[in-house]
Amino acid sequence: MTDNRFDAVVIGAGHNGLTAAATLAQQGKSVCVLERADRIGGMSRSADLGGATLPEMAHLLYNLNPGVAKSLGLKIASRALPTVALCPAQQHVVIQGKTAQYANGDAHPDAAAYAALYQRLKTFAALLGQLAEGAPPALAGGMLNAKTLQEMMALGKLGLGLKRLGKVEMREFLRVILSNAYDLILDELSDGPLAGALAADAVRGAYAGPRSPGTVFSLMYRLGNGGDVTLPIGGMGAVAAAFADAATKQGVQIRTDVDIASLVIANDRVQGVLLSDGTTIHADAVLSSAGAMQTMQIAGIAHFDVEATRRMRHLRNKGTTAKVNLVLRNLPAFTGLTREQTAGRLLVAPSAVAVERAFNPAKYGGISKSPLIEAVIPTLTDTTLAPDGTHILSAIVSYVPHGLEGGWTDAARADLLDRVVQTLEAYAPGIGELITHSQVLSPADIETMTGAPGGHWHHAEMGIDQILTVRPANLMARYAFGVGGLYLCGASAHPGGDVMGAAGRNAAMQVIKDGVLR
Amino acid sequence: MVKVNHVPMGLIETPFHARLEPLSRAKSWTGWAGFISPLVLDTVEFEYFAIRNQTTLFDISPMHKYRVTGPDAAAVMNRLVTRDVTKIADGRVGYVMWCDEEGMLIDDGTLFRFSATDFRLCCQEPMLTWLLDTAWGFDAQVLDESDAIAGLSLQGPTSWSLLQDAGFAAAQNMKPFDWREVEPDIWISRTGFTGDLGYELWVPKAKALDLWDRLWAAGDHWGVRAIGFEALNLCRIEAGFVAAGVDFQPVHAVMRLHRGRTPIELGFGKMVHFDKGHFNGRRALLQHREAGARYTLAKIDIAGFKPANGALIYHRKKKEVGFVTSGVWSPTTKRNIALAELKAPYGIEIKDDLWAEIYVNEEGRWDKRLVPVTLQDKPFFINQRARATPPHPF
Ligand SMILES: Cc1cc2nc3c(=O)[nH]c(=O)nc-3n(C[C@H](O)[C@H](O)[C@H](O)COP(=O)(O)OP(=O)(O)OC[C@H]3O[C@@H](n4cnc5c(N)ncnc54)[C@H](O)[C@@H]3O)c2cc1C
Repeated sequence: MTDNRFDAVVIGAGHNGLTAAATLAQQGKSVCVLERADRIGGMSRSADLGGATLPEMAHLLYNLNPGVAKSLGLKIASRALPTVALCPAQQHVVIQGKTAQYANGDAHPDAAAYAALYQRLKTFAALLGQLAEGAPPALAGGMLNAKTLQEMMALGKLGLGLKRLGKVEMREFLRVILSNAYDLILDELSDGPLAGALAADAVRGAYAGPRSPGTVFSLMYRLGNGGDVTLPIGGMGAVAAAFADAATKQGVQIRTDVDIASLVIANDRVQGVLLSDGTTIHADAVLSSAGAMQTMQIAGIAHFDVEATRRMRHLRNKGTTAKVNLVLRNLPAFTGLTREQTAGRLLVAPSAVAVERAFNPAKYGGISKSPLIEAVIPTLTDTTLAPDGTHILSAIVSYVPHGLEGGWTDAARADLLDRVVQTLEAYAPGIGELITHSQVLSPADIETMTGAPGGHWHHAEMGIDQILTVRPANLMARYAFGVGGLYLCGASAHPGGDVMGAAGRNAAMQVIKDGVLR
Repeated sequence: MVKVNHVPMGLIETPFHARLEPLSRAKSWTGWAGFISPLVLDTVEFEYFAIRNQTTLFDISPMHKYRVTGPDAAAVMNRLVTRDVTKIADGRVGYVMWCDEEGMLIDDGTLFRFSATDFRLCCQEPMLTWLLDTAWGFDAQVLDESDAIAGLSLQGPTSWSLLQDAGFAAAQNMKPFDWREVEPDIWISRTGFTGDLGYELWVPKAKALDLWDRLWAAGDHWGVRAIGFEALNLCRIEAGFVAAGVDFQPVHAVMRLHRGRTPIELGFGKMVHFDKGHFNGRRALLQHREAGARYTLAKIDIAGFKPANGALIYHRKKKEVGFVTSGVWSPTTKRNIALAELKAPYGIEIKDDLWAEIYVNEEGRWDKRLVPVTLQDKPFFINQRARATPPHPF
């Protein structure tokens, strides 16, 4: 059956799986993508609710890899949004790149300090960004090995970049890179919504507070592609569709509603995928964007060393982000914001201290009474997303634990919705009255829907013990995943999550480099 | 009886201690896995010759014993060890080795197969967490039986005769590495660490003393002796068996880099079954095989009669190429024998012109000598009686 023979099979039609597939297809390989859900997109898909098209999980772009976008010829229209750091005292701060000012146009006292900090972080982030362009260095081959030399070159570039910064800045980079965002931010800014916005950006999606080590890295990670935040026109689903189009144009077959039973492995080499309906799809390589442990289980634990299994079992992947999507019969009125500002990225993170405090209950299975929220009303930018006059509000709620005490019942979801609405009421009085439809996704729901372990944003925490050469874990950081021909290609691989595409592209390039495909 | 609520302090008595203690003239004890174990009970010479000429009892209760059961038990054991346990039949014992992900030996031991769903692993090193990790994701249970099961090693040319007189005639047709339940709760395996005719007997702890008394009562006529570790160690070196922590460093127990050795380097390449599917360290071992051994553990014969334990080994009397890991004077073969680790290519391609550096003390004065070393490819002690089935009566 020629129908079921491909050079490579990709597990999961999230944007990373699709990128991996398209990249391989561009190299002339035949590829089939197998998706368990009934739709493509994974965390970057859209959903329909009350006649509106809403970003079911991810909603904004800021880390889309330009190289990926270019090589795949992605056609994604998107509009840059300002960030509005909401202030309980209505002294909202509007941030656009390196400028920060009050919403009413007044100068912010920390504007200069913020600009300097932002600029510095962006420069550092660009350096780190280089590391996202390929597999992390292994340096295991010894200095006379061609592979090692290539890696040294890449590292050398980083070193060179560091050198170019000048002595003072280089020292500063090395000082802050592993430290915590809280100290970094409050060394430069007084605490308030502006500092809170940076702190919240440093921890969104993470099981970490701004005082946790490694959060400067995660803040920089966000800025690795320039830091602009844009809203995709047509919704996040349009982004996923663009990735899918790029893949299908290259001849990639995408199959949804597929239930994978196991991998077919012989002589320690992947031979294909066995579906639960008994079909075998033959392939010389399998690239999986499922979680690392999930991939191991699909392949069969017996095919991995005990240490590798142990590392995967102990991966930190407690999801902390919930999604609340609202359909509103009218545009809510945010006090003190213009319509244009209301269309921005609205942050409820009143201070760096508040961000840290909001993390505390999550450690014990609870949710803060003052949750952190990143909300956007996409219908203000793209009117096609909802029926005339109605609006959608897409809210990412941080520090919502996967393992909620008492479990994720309907009542727990209703309670979360209530907390979010109550929090927003402080800034947009009457917003609760406008809700016609709502969708609440806990991290546990996100796990069920996408398979992402813990429902985690990055499939595995981006802690300093799980990034770069140890992502997802020591000895498995270069996409190859134990069994010959098996590769990781999703967010749990280097460089990590966000709608970015680098993990998928890098994995595909590694497959080519390793000569796995004939 | 006083109820003890605290964790016992110091060394613990084995189930046979009540019999060993009165037999100890030497009062020479050691700690073995937390238990009190005799180094010597009488004299080493006496005990050694009892192993080779009569029959001996050695308390092996301190060995770690783990039971692995369940539908996936065979899969778990096959994941653990380098050889193919599906080739070990029910009622058989296999010598096994297991490695970490880098192909470095974690420990060696004996694997007792009750059935495809029931195994017992005996080894020197504590292995519970490793076994639990190995069994994770499989339908199998791991139970630490170290405390529940007592073991006695009965070794020597008259050991079968003793067994028969003790009422264990059922063991007559047992071949080496057979094992069976000869009576309810008494399991016998034809195994041992001496290279001689011998058996190991396994009973629940509560039945330990009864077993001892039964064997002891039948043994007088067959010259039975209780022995300590030192005599046994002489015999195991003669038989060419390796000891954990001595001839190789169990890789989980070392902190320094590069102390681990592969089974291939220790001379057990035939026990690494690359064709059985994945097992721990397989990929690394394949790479090692490709790259060639870095070391070899060689059996050597050293000139003279001064035991050479720890001696450095030189090529052309100049270049240091290895050292003795276990060295003894072998009373039976009348040779100065040893196991030695040599750095490749010595001992593999280069086998000549090797010298051991020996320190001798002549009436208070230390002197250094270089004596020639000859490589051996067979165990130093081989006796047909060890394998004869049925075993020879004496
Ligand atoms: C609530 C939330 C909001 C977010 N917001 C943003 C944002 O605004 N901007 C941003 O850049 N990032 C955001 N992220 C992160 C981002 O969405 C993810 O990091 C990214 O989409 C991961 O892409 P992926 O392709 O690696 O994995 P996924 O998108 O998770 O895709 C994996 C796919 O594999 C499929 N799959 C899993 N297991 C199997 C299996 N066994 N067989 C077949 N298929 C399988 C899943 O169904 C899924 O389609 C957000 C994440 C969350 C949870």
